[in-house]
Amino acid sequence: MTPDSTVSSGTNGGRLLFTTITILSLIIMYAPALYLLLASLSPDEWLRLVAPIRFSLTSYVALIDDRRLASALDESVLVGLATAVLATPIGLSAALAYRAMTRMRSIFLLIILSATFVPGAIEGLGLSVILRLGRIHPSWVTVTIGHLLWTLPFAVTVSLIGLSAVKESAFEAARDLGAGPVRAFVDVTLPLMRGSLISSFVFSFLLSLNEHARAYYLIGRQNTLPLYMFGAMNSGASPTIYAFAGAIIVVSFAAVALIFFEATRRQKRSGDGQDKR
Amino acid sequence: MTRDDFSRRIRSQLTRRRLFQHAALGVSVLAAGTLGLPRAARAADEINFWATGTLDIGDDGWKTFERESGVEVNFSDNGNDPGPVVAKLAAGNANDIYDVGGLQGGSEKEVAKRGLIAPWDLSQIPNYASLWQSAKDIPYLSYEGKVYGIPSVINADSIIALRDKAGSVDSYGVIFDRKLKGKTAMEDAWINSATFAAIYLKNSENAKIAEPGNLTAEELGLVMEFLIKHKRDGQFRTFWSGWEQGLQLIASQEVWAMTGWEPIVYAARARGVDCYYAVPKEGYEAWGNNLVLLKGAVDRGLSRTAHRFANALLSGFYGCKLGALRGYFVPTDNNVAYATAHSDDFDPAKVAELGEHVKAKFAGRVYWQNTRPDNFQLYEQWWQRLRNA
Amino acid sequence: MRLDEVARRRQRTAFLLALPSLVVFVGIGFIPLVLMATWSLWTFDADTYWVKPIWSLASYAALLEGGRATVFLRTAGLAAATATISTLLAAPAATVVGLLSGPRRATLLVALFTIPFFTSGLVRAFAWRLVLGREGIINGALTGLGLVRTPVEWLLFSDFAVVLGMVAADIPFAIVPIVLAFARIEPSVIRASQDLGAGFWMTFSSIVLPLITPGIVAGFLFVFVVAVGTSMEIQLLGGAGASSISVMINDVMRVVNFPLAFAIATVVVVFLIALVIVADRTLKLSRLFEHLGT
Repeated sequence: MTPDSTVSSGTNGGRLLFTTITILSLIIMYAPALYLLLASLSPDEWLRLVAPIRFSLTSYVALIDDRRLASALDESVLVGLATAVLATPIGLSAALAYRAMTRMRSIFLLIILSATFVPGAIEGLGLSVILRLGRIHPSWVTVTIGHLLWTLPFAVTVSLIGLSAVKESAFEAARDLGAGPVRAFVDVTLPLMRGSLISSFVFSFLLSLNEHARAYYLIGRQNTLPLYMFGAMNSGASPTIYAFAGAIIVVSFAAVALIFFEATRRQKRSGDGQDKR
Repeated sequence: MTRDDFSRRIRSQLTRRRLFQHAALGVSVLAAGTLGLPRAARAADEINFWATGTLDIGDDGWKTFERESGVEVNFSDNGNDPGPVVAKLAAGNANDIYDVGGLQGGSEKEVAKRGLIAPWDLSQIPNYASLWQSAKDIPYLSYEGKVYGIPSVINADSIIALRDKAGSVDSYGVIFDRKLKGKTAMEDAWINSATFAAIYLKNSENAKIAEPGNLTAEELGLVMEFLIKHKRDGQFRTFWSGWEQGLQLIASQEVWAMTGWEPIVYAARARGVDCYYAVPKEGYEAWGNNLVLLKGAVDRGLSRTAHRFANALLSGFYGCKLGALRGYFVPTDNNVAYATAHSDDFDPAKVAELGEHVKAKFAGRVYWQNTRPDNFQLYEQWWQRLRNA
Repeated sequence: MRLDEVARRRQRTAFLLALPSLVVFVGIGFIPLVLMATWSLWTFDADTYWVKPIWSLASYAALLEGGRATVFLRTAGLAAATATISTLLAAPAATVVGLLSGPRRATLLVALFTIPFFTSGLVRAFAWRLVLGREGIINGALTGLGLVRTPVEWLLFSDFAVVLGMVAADIPFAIVPIVLAFARIEPSVIRASQDLGAGFWMTFSSIVLPLITPGIVAGFLFVFVVAVGTSMEIQLLGGAGASSISVMINDVMRVVNFPLAFAIATVVVVFLIALVIVADRTLKLSRLFEHLGT
């Protein structure tokens, strides 16, 4: 039985309100994104809506040749993935530590959160001074260090929430059945936390992908995507940056649709299998 | 229900669908990544040019530049804001990465004093001689008798106005005109806006101001009180910064008149907006964007290459390309010579016209903008008061 | 005896687990934090263009001048408004995802809430100018429908626009933690509640809400922290000279007044730490993330 059916009876008022708010939230989020998508199809050199009959892919064609944008994207994806790859397990271990702690939990939480509190430009400048003293040459590695500090508190918190949904009894049950602590963790706790771990990864990646104040002081010669965008907007943007925004939306939608289609198919197949049994 | 049952149920019911939800996002991440292309490796005669984005002539432009000069250029946008640029030079890692900077003029003297940039050896830059005298005379380019800044782009700024809304404009007074309340804008930086207001007050309101680009404490107070009063009255729709914001204000008719950059007029006209660049009776605000040689380049043995780069920048192609691309002007007559010799690529008449246009502006009254006036800390304090008024 | 040992082993495990994050925070994060606080008490050195160790409280005194103090209050106000609105929208939206949808729709919704995030925040904020402007879509529709005669001016270059832009940008920060918190709720409990005749609101307020509170608190905190640090929406969508802490830091950096920039940052950090401590005391933050017993 799905939770869907559990709350359906006689609750139409609340449901309606909540659904309305969800749609409102989506409208607020998508208003600028959809505007960009439609405006990027304009054949003109500037961002505006045109009649669908005039839609053109001119800016998208120019996008393919934009090497500088491609390098910036490359750098940002590299930094974002490195950040997420580090932040997710470290965040998980911090969440587990928090749970195992019997004392000083509040202080531990505060230390972790405080890293996000430093205004970006100051954190970036301060870090770059230190890294320079340590003779660490600025590159994607230095940006990743900065972004790790920025994203880790989010990763820890997301893992904490995920962990709080895992009952200790599940873990204990596995232990009772003779599994060692590591085995029990890998077999029971980890699968139960998969949702929050993926969230933690995606969150870290996205936070890094959009960060720009820290990156300004920490980058090597290659600008990251937000810095490139910032520069492009400040000094005579070509419509390619809007086409790029549009392309990202289309690609994301396509990816989600693909996964969705694939998963539905798999679900159907496993459903068939169950029928046979 | 046993414990085992429980855990199995949780797994099957809750986790699977959540895993499913978030896997969608994970794949989007990877999909976004595949758009990237591999980066080029670094070559020998290569300069990392860290400058205001408006100095960029694009990948194909720099390719031609390399063919002509033998110097490969990696352009990096420095964000144009003199604050972070100087901070990154003074405390950060700019000298580890970049070779030549292109800075909005004013802070050369101070970064030179600290040894963050090195003096140019003019004997290695024959084209320096071709620079206009008015550009060479920019007050803050040299320190202790040595030249630290080479003007790469100069221009004189005034007001962008919509013809059918603002009528014919010949004074900064239009920005402060009651009739245009809520329909004017200035730049979100004292570097520009305090200077413009000072030029206006000096020449149209007979205020006692000696040098609009370098105000004394008293003059500054007068200018800023004036701006604060108008801000309180709701005169300004907003303050803007950066090309795209400025262009959008005019193109969407959010404002009818604003202080701003001349190329915005060209871009807005190309979009069918009937606007023009006013010739203000009070005079223009002149600015220069100057090449500086980063100390790090000298340490890395790139000094000669950097000089070749600077020389090539003034040799004509760059000036023609930048003029065609963005309407900005490199102050040397080499542009016209180059265009004449390469009339297939550039229209010599147009190149000459741009030069004459800028020359005409400089023939009249101009006041140099200065990112480092003597009282610069005081400027910031007043700007805070304006923000919070 | 055995209990003692279990406790000790547990502490050791906790320490080992905490090590990676402590290395990052104390090893990397703490140094800039300490330097920042120290440098805020030093003096600007015109000769080196940096700070020198002449101790002074001048920067903190300067915080009280030129209306700088109001910038802190304004920023806190805007961030609180943004976080409150985002949470008020996110809690019901997350409930739809976590409770009122089947697995497929839930997946789709989470994906929908995340996709806009992949495009540059800067470009998205800029797009609002074209949606909300005098000649933008909304004003076009309003005048087209004859609802207003002249375009509504306060839609853009106002606090309204700033908060709207920030809410649009930051909602996912609030939604994701709440959606995750729904894993804490057992469908059987909901069913039981309904079997006992509790309606939607009763079930929501007495069962759902307490269990998703950690997600709500985390979501609020995320949005608040991100909103405190932003300058983009304020510069693109705010009125003439609109300010925030980050805008002020940029202003101060522009005149290389490093000690003042560090002082501003220090005050921000102290304020946020105080906020978390107060929240911890009153809301028992650290207990929120505990599991639900056995």
